[in-house]
Amino acid sequence: MSYSMSAQQRFWNTLRAVGIALIALFILIPLAYIVLISLTPDTQVGGGSLWPSHWAFENYAKMWPTVHLAQGIRNSVIISGLAGLLATLVALGSAYVLARFQFRGRKTFMLSLITIQTIPSVMLLLPLFVIIVVIQDAISIHLVGRYFTIILTYMTFALPFACWLLYSYMSGIPADLEEAGFVDGCTRLQVVRYVVFPLLLPGMVVTFVFSFLLAWGDVLFASVLTSAETHTVAVSLQAYVSSGESGGDVYWGQLMAASLTSGLPIMVIFLIFQKYIIGGLASGAVKG
Amino acid sequence: MSSPQVPLDTVGTAYTTAPPGAVRRKRMSMWQRPPYWMMLPSVALLLIIVVAPFAVSVYASLTKLNQYTIAHWTSAPFVGLENYADAFRQGNALGASALQSVWVSVSFSVATTILITPIGIIAALLVNKPFRGRRWVRTLFLVPYVMPVFVNAIVWRMLFMNGWGLIDQVLAGLHLANKDTFWLIGPRSFWAMVVADVWSSWPFVYLMVLAGLQGISSDLYESANIDGASPVRGFFSITLPMLRPVLGLALLLSTLNHFNNFTLPFIMFGTPPSPQADVLPLNVYITSFQTFNFGLGAAMSLMTLILMMIPAVFYIRMLRLGEATS
Repeated sequence: MSYSMSAQQRFWNTLRAVGIALIALFILIPLAYIVLISLTPDTQVGGGSLWPSHWAFENYAKMWPTVHLAQGIRNSVIISGLAGLLATLVALGSAYVLARFQFRGRKTFMLSLITIQTIPSVMLLLPLFVIIVVIQDAISIHLVGRYFTIILTYMTFALPFACWLLYSYMSGIPADLEEAGFVDGCTRLQVVRYVVFPLLLPGMVVTFVFSFLLAWGDVLFASVLTSAETHTVAVSLQAYVSSGESGGDVYWGQLMAASLTSGLPIMVIFLIFQKYIIGGLASGAVKG
Repeated sequence: MSSPQVPLDTVGTAYTTAPPGAVRRKRMSMWQRPPYWMMLPSVALLLIIVVAPFAVSVYASLTKLNQYTIAHWTSAPFVGLENYADAFRQGNALGASALQSVWVSVSFSVATTILITPIGIIAALLVNKPFRGRRWVRTLFLVPYVMPVFVNAIVWRMLFMNGWGLIDQVLAGLHLANKDTFWLIGPRSFWAMVVADVWSSWPFVYLMVLAGLQGISSDLYESANIDGASPVRGFFSITLPMLRPVLGLALLLSTLNHFNNFTLPFIMFGTPPSPQADVLPLNVYITSFQTFNFGLGAAMSLMTLILMMIPAVFYIRMLRLGEATS
């Protein structure tokens, strides 16, 4: 790069700075407003003035009992974490077979994975609930409201995308090392555990993050399949917002503080792994 | 990423000690019988949690399943295609008819996809070339995408709040609109939903385009530069054509995702929403769980599925094309 910039280059650099500034404003204004409201005393929200008379840091303390936040976050971490982990492991098995073997029904299976992705989730809610009730009556163990049930549900919904993602990663890894391990007398499971698993780790991280996001963001299934003890943070916030519709007072300051708190962990996780995620999408998307 | 500890030296000894034919035979045997059991958990879960409910739902769409017949749902009266005919008729007291919802959903996914595409492409181009602080800008651009949908919906519900929401205040301050514009009910609720969705979903296109840009060789631009082509010309004759496959995929996936978006309107407007914002998934939810007409709800969601299959078939076709060329 030469020391002095050409006029043309300077023009493009300025244009880039302006473009980035505009997009940054578009992103940041709503975020700044959330922070502002979260620090506004509840009595002043909606009072007409944008700036509060004093900073209401107490919103961040008062929000916990108002929306049952701690319990919601704890349940969300348990449910999304386990669903993401299990979905990744289960999808690994399928992706391995799909990427390494030619067999009858392989293509059908892969196409049905895409088809399943297009089924509207609203459509499955009631029949799934009915099936779970039938099973729980048959084995006389309570299932609705258990962690187990909602975790299995989310991990299954995450499976099609997880299988595809891991499949495209698998296809990029040469099979030579696995063959070598096999020749050396490893069993199939050992080959997957000691050869495939470490090579696929970046792909598995991406898969985990996407499955985790799916479970963390869902409201529909959590609102039906969880009980008061197992409800996720999405449900507790949604229930709190809709309590305003039925005439209750919504404490917007506390609600914004709670929204920010419940969005933060997931943002941090995603941003930590963003390098893998961009790289993973790059390899997956370019290959198609 | 550190490379895994594979005992490479033992691979070498295996080659020297075992006769070559035996090694080849063993390698062949590795790929002969697929370990189907590894797929078993996925298949079983998908069958129980997706396929079986789906089948029940297809059956339910042909019956008069409502709050009176749900207790003995297996013996609900069979009504054939009556629910499908009902879906096309004018809606009940609550919300819009299915046909109107189809229209709202299609316009919603088309409108958002059209809006997010240029934003995503421009954003990706802005951060494609290295500059100081690029890492931070890239991180910032991902923030809306990372925010959970329910948080996004709550935030925009507040931003659009009538009278005191930021948007009403700013528009009134600029004398562009009345303070009582009512963004969350009536015809404007559609646009409120589009804006909220654009804010949170453009980084998807940005991510896909950014990924696609990594695959374009810089040689192309250099030779274009030598030939005297301007950067604008380079964009239209090199970048855009090279991005076409990725862009096509991004647009299709985005259309599908928006069509199925339930959480955003559900939290932004509550139930029932204004007819103008009554997207199909929300309408199905209300029909099934608030008016308890499960049969009709199932019929409506099957119709949704058929609509969704149109872009999905395109997608599958594209994948086939990819297989043929590679």
